[in-house]
Amino acid sequence: MLPADTNTAIKLIPVSQFTDEQLAAIYNQTRVDYMVPMPMNAVRLAEYMKTYDVSREYSRVAQTHDGEMLGVNMLGLREGRAWITRLGVIPNTRRNGVGRALMGSLMEQAARLSINFVMLEVIKNNTPAYQLFLKLGFYEVGELLVLRRSPLTPAVDPIVADAQRLDRTDSLVLVGHDRGTQPWTNQSESLFNAFEVSGLRLTLADGSRGWLVYQRQKFLLTRFAFKTEVGDPATVAYAMLSHLHNQYPRLDTQIENIQIDDPHLPAFYRMGYVEAFRRIEMWHGTPPPEIRK
Amino acid sequence: MTKILLVEDIPDNAELVRKALSGRDYEIIHAPDAETGLQLALTHIPDLILLDLGLPDYDGQTLAGWLRAETVLDATPIVAVTAWPEETAKKMVESYGFDGYICKPIIKIGEFVAKIDSYLKVP
Repeated sequence: MLPADTNTAIKLIPVSQFTDEQLAAIYNQTRVDYMVPMPMNAVRLAEYMKTYDVSREYSRVAQTHDGEMLGVNMLGLREGRAWITRLGVIPNTRRNGVGRALMGSLMEQAARLSINFVMLEVIKNNTPAYQLFLKLGFYEVGELLVLRRSPLTPAVDPIVADAQRLDRTDSLVLVGHDRGTQPWTNQSESLFNAFEVSGLRLTLADGSRGWLVYQRQKFLLTRFAFKTEVGDPATVAYAMLSHLHNQYPRLDTQIENIQIDDPHLPAFYRMGYVEAFRRIEMWHGTPPPEIRK
Repeated sequence: MTKILLVEDIPDNAELVRKALSGRDYEIIHAPDAETGLQLALTHIPDLILLDLGLPDYDGQTLAGWLRAETVLDATPIVAVTAWPEETAKKMVESYGFDGYICKPIIKIGEFVAKIDSYLKVP
């Protein structure tokens, strides 16, 4: 238990002072009772931090002065913006101000770096966290979907189209640099940092066209970026997904943080994607002009 | 002996299942992550797989997809163990070829054991 004077009882230590194994253990402990726990081993956590530009220097672990672990909070940093992620407090130490202290520390770090625009996502119905973020000045921007498609989903024939497979370089050219106000996980940098990125570009008989960029992991397709350049987004997306899933029929698929009003969404549902859960996207401050491009 | 493969990353949860089933004639094989789970499933060909959906390397849905692609496991029921809301759990069960699900936390041990027996068709 924490002493009554919580503020002086909590020590905030840079994540850089912990090994990936220690960090994964702390993070997993904070989530044991979550509805969607999303545990990570050291390898996965290190990849997460690299992909999402999480700063080890500015992220924090909370401990008591006796060394008892209390929680963790991570800060992602990119041009003109910051991202708070993986905030978690170990269950039996909650409601003692640890979450607030961790949040305050990271907000302070961002301000010190002259970053006044901070993004985060919170799992829908995680009311305590949502309320804390509101109190700290975050406001709701929209709702995001996490979707899954099982490899057991019946295959569909690829829609007739001129389909071009893209290597990493060509894929990243299409992704471009103008995704700074997208959810952090789907911004350009997330794909630039990821390994095994490729894509496809497709033109339909009526001239509709678009592209889809993705990461292919050992057993999973993930981290999608897509755009319809000409035509109806749901039609173009369905055609692109029909080609993608024919190419990788045995891979599971998980895509994160698709905005609920994304016009491509009907194509995903038609292709057998199911909703796993929702997040609420929240911002603090306003996006600076350089990332609104 | 009837073999149950338990894929669960949290040691306390694994211990709870082990204790709950300790009075039965079941051998519990434990895997703490998905890759080990796949390996042990193929080595032991268990009679039942209890699969936590939140795992530290690949999640339970991805593992279920691999397991269902293995014909040697066609006769093995795979049951999701999850804290997800019922509606989501049902969607995942249907999409990923699970034979059913058990809600976390496991509180009523008697009900849990009865469910395990029913998946194993123990009279």
